[in-house]
Amino acid sequence: MSTIVEMKTLNKFYGSHHVLKNIDLSVARGEVVVVIGASGSGKSTLIRCVNGLEMYQNGSLLVDGYPMPVEEDRLLGGESELAAIRKGVGMVFQQFNLFPHKTVVENITIAPMRVHRKSKAEAEATALRLLDRVGLKAHAHKYPGQLSGGQQQRVAIARSLAMEPHLMLFDEPTSALDPEMIGEVLDVMRELAADGMTMMIVTHEMGFAREVADRIVYIDQGAILEVGKPDAFFDNPQNERARAFLARVLKH
Amino acid sequence: MIARSLKWSRHNLFAKPFDILLSLTVIPGVLWLIWQIAGWALTVAQWDIIPQSLRVLMIGIFPVDQVWRTWVAAMIIAALLGAALGCVFAFRGRHAGGLLLVVAVALILTGTNDLANILLVAALVVLFGLSWALISRVPAVRKGLVPASFVGLIAIFAVMAPPGAGLWGGLLLSILLTLVTAVVTLPIGILLAFGRRSRFSSVRWICTAYIEVMRSVPLIMVVYWIWILMPVLTPQLNLADVVRGMIGFTLFYSAYVAEYVRSGLQAVPRGQTEAARSLGMSEFDINRSIVLPQALRVVVPPLVGNVLDIFNTAPLVFIIGLTDFLRAGQMILANPQYGDRTYEVYSFLFLTYFLVGSLITFVARKLEKHLARGSR
Ligand SMILES: Nc1ncnc2c1ncn2[C@@H]1O[C@H](COP(=O)(O)OP(=O)(O)O)[C@@H](O)[C@H]1O
Ligand SMILES: [Mg+2]
Repeated sequence: MSTIVEMKTLNKFYGSHHVLKNIDLSVARGEVVVVIGASGSGKSTLIRCVNGLEMYQNGSLLVDGYPMPVEEDRLLGGESELAAIRKGVGMVFQQFNLFPHKTVVENITIAPMRVHRKSKAEAEATALRLLDRVGLKAHAHKYPGQLSGGQQQRVAIARSLAMEPHLMLFDEPTSALDPEMIGEVLDVMRELAADGMTMMIVTHEMGFAREVADRIVYIDQGAILEVGKPDAFFDNPQNERARAFLARVLKH
Repeated sequence: MIARSLKWSRHNLFAKPFDILLSLTVIPGVLWLIWQIAGWALTVAQWDIIPQSLRVLMIGIFPVDQVWRTWVAAMIIAALLGAALGCVFAFRGRHAGGLLLVVAVALILTGTNDLANILLVAALVVLFGLSWALISRVPAVRKGLVPASFVGLIAIFAVMAPPGAGLWGGLLLSILLTLVTAVVTLPIGILLAFGRRSRFSSVRWICTAYIEVMRSVPLIMVVYWIWILMPVLTPQLNLADVVRGMIGFTLFYSAYVAEYVRSGLQAVPRGQTEAARSLGMSEFDINRSIVLPQALRVVVPPLVGNVLDIFNTAPLVFIIGLTDFLRAGQMILANPQYGDRTYEVYSFLFLTYFLVGSLITFVARKLEKHLARGSR
């Protein structure tokens, strides 16, 4: 069981728009995979399929030992695996998506209490420990609106970690942040990687990608065009479009 | 419109003459009207009819020896309203002064001079203030408010029922009808709103059809239909007219509440649901704890406005033979002895409706500002 995500010839359509094309990709436990590609290439769609926020039409997807049902089955109500999968997969969004009507600590405790039936005391103890880990213990009883973007995103990471996930998905976690706050979020992610968390990350931070990734996946127009070790990929991309993409983004 | 015309006139050559014209016609007209009304109210009008018929105006033909029941009902209502207010506005010292003012105005307006009644009115307001202060100081109690209001309403029914529901009337009936409708339409409206976005197309279809039908017919039609249908559908229940009226109002206004709630649901960003899903929460938990609280927050002001709508349409229950506040006033005038007091009675009705209406509007406005500030 060293593979946590296994996609085989996975296809996804929005109507007639073919968004993911014959995706084959597996992620090993403990691995950090960074997905890069131009805007609109399907990066978000790809990682959102992993926790079932997007449905795929055909192919197969195994997550954390459970088969993710295809769209047809889900629409017919076959969603029991979905709940099991989501318990083990955390996700961090570009827009943080904290619950604005709940305090920081309530944001973190609600899922463990509702889903894992943890006691309030236990969930709060975990929440405070996680907040300490992301450097926000002092803000436990504030509302998200009182925090900066970087702080909110760190809370969002803590919220996901509270569910003790086996896999964390990050969809451009720093893209909505002011430049001076990007570092604090990347630091938390670095620590997670060092602790052995399995992660799939969509990011435009190429330096960070090169540093933490075990593998880079380059996607273009819904197809994976290149997969490689960071050094090999960044120094010597094989695919022509990948080379052009890197030339464009690394110019800055 | 006048304000707009004025603004427009500022950019217009005829600004000054137009202004003068307005001042020359409107202001004296208004002053003349006020003068006439004040003159009539202070010299001609015979206000003694109001204290004399106050009981009928307030509680209709409820038996005199059973009046204590209506006081109990009024106490429960005061406590519930105070609690509802406390959920959104913190009680402060200066509000106590405002409440005293309300007592004074109510007593003067109604010409109450009986000590027992003065004390009872004072008790009502004190209860209102206490429950307001309690709920705003001890937020933990708020969770119990919805069940408490259902229990309160049931208690009111229990205490008012013995002399016969056919005897309910007056302002108390109008307020009860409003309260029952407001409280019961909320859960029904929420369910309908969620039903309208259900993943099951049959549920979606039924809820949509219900809402659309109710919104395309007049209230009076629904109330009348329910009144004539209930005895046919449930012959063994033998429901009182009052209850049938409340059912009609509730069925009708549920559709409106559903639409308000739906607009609130739509205002909650998709990311909220997605984040909750990614945490493994069930759809039920997501809707109850993440989506609904945020949606309701947005629609509290329109929902308060909806309560005013209910109150202002309550006089329509005359069509099924109920004696609400307005009808009670007409009943008094039907007495030949009081035939010449039409203007006095209608002035009192107008003023009361106006005071209640502007109070509710005021609360809705405040809420809107309050919530806008909080969401930042
Ligand atoms: N809800 C949607 N409906 C239709 N098309 C969509 C939807 N979401 C995304 N797409 C399309 O799918 C493609 C991939 O989008 P996305 O995965 O968001 O790209 P990326 O994250 O790489 O920028 C884009 O062409 C986008 O226009
Ligand atoms: Mg994206």
